[in-house]
Amino acid sequence: MSTHTTAAGHAPASGWKEWVLTTDHKRIGVLYLIGSMAAFGVAGLMALIIRLEQMELGMQYVASATQYNSFLYFHGAAMVLAFLIPGLTGFAANYFLPLMIGARDVAFPRINAFSIWLFYFAIVLALLSFVIPDAPDIMWTGYPPYSVTTTGNTAFYVFTVHLLGFSSILGAVNFLVTVIYMRAPGMGWNQLNIFVWTTIAAFVLQLIFIPVLAAAVTLLLFDKYMGTHFYDPSAGGDVLLYQNLFWFYSHPAVYVIFLPAVGILMDIMATMCKNRIFNYKAAVYAGIWGIVAIGGIVWIHHLYITGMPDWIRLGHMVTTLLISVPVGILVLSFWGTLYKGAITYNTAMMYAVSCLYLILLGGLTGIPLAIPSMTVHLSETSYVHAHFHFIMALFSAFALFAGIYYWFPKMTGRYADGPIATLSFWLNFIGVNVTFWPLFIIGKEGMPRRYWNYEMFSDMTVFGYTFQQFNTIATYGSWIIAVGMLLQFMNFIKAAISGPVAPLNPWGSKSLEWTHTASPPGPGNFGDTDVVVDENWSPYEYNRG
Amino acid sequence: MTTHADTAHVHEHHWEWSWAPLFTVAGIFFVLPMAFASFFVYDNMTFTAVFAGVGTVVLLAGIAKWVDEGLTQVPLLAGVASIGLPIFIVSEVFIFLGLFASYWLMRLGFEVWPPEGTPHIDKLLPTIMTVILVSSSITCHTAEEKLEHGNLSGFNSWWMISIVLGAIFLGCTVYEWNHLIHLDFIPSTNAYSTAFFTITGFHASHVLVGLGAFIAVLLPALGGRTNKTFVTCVSIYWHFVDIVWFFVASQIYFW
Repeated sequence: MSTHTTAAGHAPASGWKEWVLTTDHKRIGVLYLIGSMAAFGVAGLMALIIRLEQMELGMQYVASATQYNSFLYFHGAAMVLAFLIPGLTGFAANYFLPLMIGARDVAFPRINAFSIWLFYFAIVLALLSFVIPDAPDIMWTGYPPYSVTTTGNTAFYVFTVHLLGFSSILGAVNFLVTVIYMRAPGMGWNQLNIFVWTTIAAFVLQLIFIPVLAAAVTLLLFDKYMGTHFYDPSAGGDVLLYQNLFWFYSHPAVYVIFLPAVGILMDIMATMCKNRIFNYKAAVYAGIWGIVAIGGIVWIHHLYITGMPDWIRLGHMVTTLLISVPVGILVLSFWGTLYKGAITYNTAMMYAVSCLYLILLGGLTGIPLAIPSMTVHLSETSYVHAHFHFIMALFSAFALFAGIYYWFPKMTGRYADGPIATLSFWLNFIGVNVTFWPLFIIGKEGMPRRYWNYEMFSDMTVFGYTFQQFNTIATYGSWIIAVGMLLQFMNFIKAAISGPVAPLNPWGSKSLEWTHTASPPGPGNFGDTDVVVDENWSPYEYNRG
Repeated sequence: MTTHADTAHVHEHHWEWSWAPLFTVAGIFFVLPMAFASFFVYDNMTFTAVFAGVGTVVLLAGIAKWVDEGLTQVPLLAGVASIGLPIFIVSEVFIFLGLFASYWLMRLGFEVWPPEGTPHIDKLLPTIMTVILVSSSITCHTAEEKLEHGNLSGFNSWWMISIVLGAIFLGCTVYEWNHLIHLDFIPSTNAYSTAFFTITGFHASHVLVGLGAFIAVLLPALGGRTNKTFVTCVSIYWHFVDIVWFFVASQIYFW
C-alpha cells in the first residue's frame, strides 16, 4: 500500500465506474467541461430564441410573455451559474490546478466528487423547469416582490442556487487546502502560475460571498412559502434588502468568472510569447488581490436607481471606479507580456489576444455605468446588457475557449487547431461584434432590456434607422455566432477522436502540467516520482534559456 | 512493463472512484428541492412522502458509505480536514451574518419593539438552553481528550453525553416553537416572528446536522473504529454551533 494514493480496497472497477463515479480531479474536470458545455448549448439556444423574438415587433416565436421570461431566466441562470462558473472554476481549476502545483490530486477527492454531483443535480433541477407546470419566470436575479407573488416555481430557482452554491463553497474549501498544503516541495508563493493565483482568489470570493446569496434566496423561499416578511414592507420588511444581499454576492461573482479567465489568458500569453509574466508580483498582489479586496464593496452600482442616500451612491461610485486600477494592472501585465515576446499565433492565442479587445471595450463601457448621473439614463437599457455581455459572455467565454484549445493536447494528446478552428474563431469574433455593437447604440438611445416587445419605441430612430433594424442586425450576429459555435464543437469532437497527434509539450511551456505529465495524465498524475522544484524554478522562466 | 523489483518501491496508482458522493447528493436532492416543491408548490402529499422517504434512505446510505470509506482508506494527505472545516466555517459565519443583517435592518426600522402580536417570550428557557449547549461543548471536548489518551470507552461515554445534551437542546427548541405556535405566534405573524423562526430554526438545523455528525462518529466508535481527524472536525463544528448560539440568544431573546 502506498502513502500517496487514496488507495484502499477497491477492486479494479469496470470502466464506466471509473468515469462516472470518479474522484480523480482530472476526470471530474472533464465531467465539469461536459456539463458546462451542455449548459452553454441549451442556454445559447435560449439566446437565439430571444434574439429571434427581438428581430420584429410584437410576438412571433414565443407563445407568451411568460414563456419569454422563462427563456430569459434559463439563459441568464445557466450561462452564469452552469456554464461560466463551472467551466472556469470547475473544469479548468479541477483539471489543471493540481497539475500546476505538482499535486497528485486535490486534498479531498470525495468532496470534489460531491461538488460535481451537486452541479449535475442542479442542472437537472434547472432542466426540469422545461417540463414542470409553473416554471420559474424570475430571471437569474429573482427580485421580489414579483418572485414572491408569481405563480412560477420560485422554489426550484432557490434550490438551484443552493445546490450550485454549496458545490462552489466546498470547491473553495478543497482548493484552498490543496494550494496551501499540497504544492510540490520547494514551490514558493511567488512561483505559482497566475492561473493558480486567480483560481484561489476566485474561491476566496466564493467562500465569503456565496453564503450571503444563499441567505438571500433562503429568505425569498421563506417569504413565498412560509409567509415570513423579510421582503414585505407592509410588515416592516424591506424589498431592497434582497437586491442588496443578491448583488453583495453577484457582483463579486463577476470576478469569480473574470479572475480565472485572466489566469488562463496569462498562462497562454506567457507560453505563446515565450516570455515571463510582466510585473508578476504587481499582477498577483495588487491586481488579483486588489480585486478581491475591493470587489465586495461596489455592489450598490447595480441599484443606483433605487432609492438611497446620495452618500452611498457616491461611495460606491468611488470604489467602482477604483476597481479599474487593479484591473488596469492586470491589463498592463497582458501587454507587457506580449511586448518583445516571440509570439506564436495559434487558435488559443487568437482567442487570447481577441480578449484584449473585448476587455478594453467591456471595461471602458463600464465607466459610465459606474457614475450614478449617467446610470440614471443608461440603467435598464440594452447598453447595460451589451456592456456585461462584453465582459462576462465574451471576454470570459473566449478565455475559456482559449484555454480549451491550449490544453486540448494535454487532455487528449491531440491538437484541436486547424482551418475549421480558425474559421470558427473568426465567425465567433465577428458574430459577437455584430450582435452587441447595435445593442450599445440603441441602448444609449433608450432601448430597454428584458422587454419581449418594444412596440412603444417603434418610432425611435438612431442615425435614421429604427430600433427594429438594429435589433435585426443583432439577430443576424447571433446566427453568425451559432454557426461558429457549431463548427467549433464539431471540431472539438472530431479533434478528440482523430485530430493530429501532438507531442508531450507542443507549445514548449515551462509549466508543470506540460513538463512533468503524460498527455492525458494517468492516475496520480506524475508517475512514480514526486515533483520537486528548486528555488529558481518558475513556470515562466523562458528568458533563462 | 515494470518488473516486481520496480513496483516494490514505487507508488501504486489506479483510478479512484466512490458511490458515496452520488448517493449523498441524490439524497439531498430528493429531500430538499423535490420534497419541498412537491409539498409547498404542487400540494402533492404522495410525491412529498415518496421523495422525502426515498431521499432519507439514499442520503443515509451515502453518508454511511462515506464514513466507512473515510475510516478505511488512506487519504492523500492526512489531517488536513481539520484545516478544511474551519475554512468551511468562514462560509457559515457569512450566512449567519446575512441573516442577522436582515434582522437588524428590519428591527432598526421599528420604533416600538417587539411589534404588535408578539406574546411574552420567556427568557428562562433560552438561558437553560445556553447552559445545556455550553455543557455539551465541554463534554465533547472531554471526549476528545479521552480519545487522545487512547481511552475509547471513556470517549464513547462522554460523546454519548454530548449527544444527549444536544438532543435536549433541540427538544427545548421544539417545545418552545410548539408553545409559541399555540399562542398564534407563527412565521407570518409579524417582523419579529419572521426573524425569530428563521434564525432559531436555522440554528436548530445546524444542531441537527451536528447531532447527525455525532452519531456518524459514534456508531463506528462503538465497534472500535475511530479517526482522530473526523472527531476533531465534528468537535470544531459543534463548538461553532455553540458560539453561534450566543449570538442567536443575545440578539433574538435578550435584546
